[in-house]
Amino acid sequence: MECVVQGIIETQHVEALEILLQGLCGVPKERIRVHELCLKSGPSLAVPSEIRLLCDLAQPTPSWTVRHVGGAMRGAGAEQISVLVRTMVESKVSNNALRFFYSLGYKLDHELLKIGFAFRFQRGAPITVTVTSANKMPKLHATDEAVPVTPGIQMVEITAPTAGDNYNEVGAAVSSFCEYLAPLLHLSKPGVSTGIVPTAAAAAASLLSNTGDDPSL
Amino acid sequence: MEAAARAPPAPQGQHPPQLAEAVAPPKVERLNQVVQQQLNLESVKTRALGLYKAISRILEDFDAFARANTTPKWQDALGQFSMVSMELFNIVEDIKNVSKAFVVHPRNVNAENATILPVMLSSKLLPEMEAEDNTKREQLLYGISGLPVHMQIEKLKARIDMIGAACEAAEKVISDCRKAYGLGSRQGSTLVPTLDKVQAAKIQEQENLLRAAVNFGEGLRIPVDQRQLPASLPSHLVDVLTVGDGAQTFGDSSAGSYTKNTPPFSSNNVNTQGILQTPGGQLIARSVPSPSSAASFDNASTPPMPYVNSPRSSTNITNTPSPQQQVQQQQQQQQQQRQKVMQLPQHQQQLLVQQQLRQSSSTGVLGQGTISQLHDLPGQTQQKFQQIPGQHQMSYSQPMLQQQFQNRQLQASHMQHNMTQNQINQVNLRSHLNQYSGANSALYNAAQTSPNSQMITNMSASMQSQSLLPRMQFGLTGGHPQRNHPSQILNDQMFGMGASNPASMVAIQQQQQGGFGNIPSNTQNLQPGMVNLPSTTQNPSFPQQRQQNQQ
Repeated sequence: MECVVQGIIETQHVEALEILLQGLCGVPKERIRVHELCLKSGPSLAVPSEIRLLCDLAQPTPSWTVRHVGGAMRGAGAEQISVLVRTMVESKVSNNALRFFYSLGYKLDHELLKIGFAFRFQRGAPITVTVTSANKMPKLHATDEAVPVTPGIQMVEITAPTAGDNYNEVGAAVSSFCEYLAPLLHLSKPGVSTGIVPTAAAAAASLLSNTGDDPSL
Repeated sequence: MEAAARAPPAPQGQHPPQLAEAVAPPKVERLNQVVQQQLNLESVKTRALGLYKAISRILEDFDAFARANTTPKWQDALGQFSMVSMELFNIVEDIKNVSKAFVVHPRNVNAENATILPVMLSSKLLPEMEAEDNTKREQLLYGISGLPVHMQIEKLKARIDMIGAACEAAEKVISDCRKAYGLGSRQGSTLVPTLDKVQAAKIQEQENLLRAAVNFGEGLRIPVDQRQLPASLPSHLVDVLTVGDGAQTFGDSSAGSYTKNTPPFSSNNVNTQGILQTPGGQLIARSVPSPSSAASFDNASTPPMPYVNSPRSSTNITNTPSPQQQVQQQQQQQQQQRQKVMQLPQHQQQLLVQQQLRQSSSTGVLGQGTISQLHDLPGQTQQKFQQIPGQHQMSYSQPMLQQQFQNRQLQASHMQHNMTQNQINQVNLRSHLNQYSGANSALYNAAQTSPNSQMITNMSASMQSQSLLPRMQFGLTGGHPQRNHPSQILNDQMFGMGASNPASMVAIQQQQQGGFGNIPSNTQNLQPGMVNLPSTTQNPSFPQQRQQNQQ
């Protein structure tokens, strides 16, 4: 299971966000370049299911991961918690996985190229913050020709793995971390629209002015 | 604050520090690994260093202001300050955990701190502080010290309430003034920039697009007719998709134009309608790595071989047309050359043969009225096809052939087999058995000299898959190369094999190499003219035949 929140940030402020995250997390940033293939089960399987195959292109040798995201937790408890808790299963696989799933009857539904960076750190729970731009490919599998879906906006996602019994604590840790990002962006459960934060520009300016010399100051 | 190496809560039985130091020479004491990880001291150190640098930078900036006599932008300065203070706060919080576990400086008593330590530990106030305390107390209780205690308490409470009320009034006044002058709250910036409606709407729209794309894939789906593999796949997909992989299926694809970049395929694809339906068949082909195949099969994404072990017989294979079928449809013109469309099972045998043929330069095609021919899929073989006049040519997916035949054994085989339909049906399972050096020159010769069904059976007989040996045994008649196999025997044997799954087939392949003592290796076994057919003939006959048939 995992706790997840998502938010958006304007591309012009991504650099400032990076600085802020660098200061908060204290770990080096990791580059992200992931080709995500979303496969949906064919009619042969009784229960429709969706599998995501992620190919990490940032490393010299691409590595594949298979990921299944399940339904979100529902109920009164879920409404009160400010993060989304959902089942998630992830595993490393070999590059045969795509063919394997095709032979099982899965069909490619859509594919996405995510380019950005991520920070993984520990703050009450192992938290991963990823800031990526979602790119679509005009032609099948043409990762070199990917163009952003929304050039001006990038997606910020914060996830933390959790178990069935401690999701409250993990959710609280994620929420408290989100508060640190409040000047720049607002995070919410996936599916809930947030809009951008009006203080983002000012916060970004002050963050960026930290680095380098600004003669105007 | 120093972190002592001995952490009392650490579950390590370390000697008391004094003892350790007194008894043994001073050893470097390291933190308990677990504690280290928990406290994440590295990150704290990094952050502390970062904070130090940030603060020194800010101080330098202010220094520059002072020298240049300019006023800094207070908004930015305050922002930086808030950042720094937040960071400091976080670091202090983390350090608190550390401090709980470790002893504080100074660690032990020695000459230099012996005198001051008691003073540091004492809780009595300094004389000056004590005097100050007393005077303040007197001021407080001035005028009421004579009253009984409970009255003193009441009066003090009243004073506290009055002070509280005054504070509240003051705060109210301050906030009113703030609002009046538009100063805003203390945390936020003075003037909150508001987005005009148009811009907000645009951003909202973009946000919805982005969220839908990332979470649900809206706007990312390519229509079926445009889903064609590009000419050059990105490197991470090349291995995954190209090699004989026709199994890719798209959500809406039914008979859509699914073209694969497989030039050599072209003619061969043909009518492996039945064969290609099961992508699973690839797996079988895959299992047979063939060193020589790499060269011959360029990145033709050939449809996978029909699943040998699939319970479906050739007649049952229908289902949705696979992409391979679609490819084949496109290549129908080439298909016309092939008069016989082998059904699924049959192809595998043919593939085997084709591969062998491919590797060899010559192609002997045995044709019969009802017999479909096996061809080498690769382009080279296409030529052969054309060379063979009036022969039925079976086309089968190249990859199937390649994968199956590329094994060492097929190096020289260029036999084209005409298998009877029966045989083919049975042999489909054998596709991955191509390694088995069943055929050899004997068969080849036989095929060439007497193209008839009998020959074929003979060939199949002579060609044995080593793995099949154990299974083949049953029902095998005594072996001599020219023996006629009733098709039923073949069928039985084939079906016997059919039960095996690709894994076992692979195992069989491996076994075969070990099985035949007299056959050093499959590759070696195949001499020119040797055909690697999944033969159903008996094992013992094979070596004999080989010797006999070798030219």
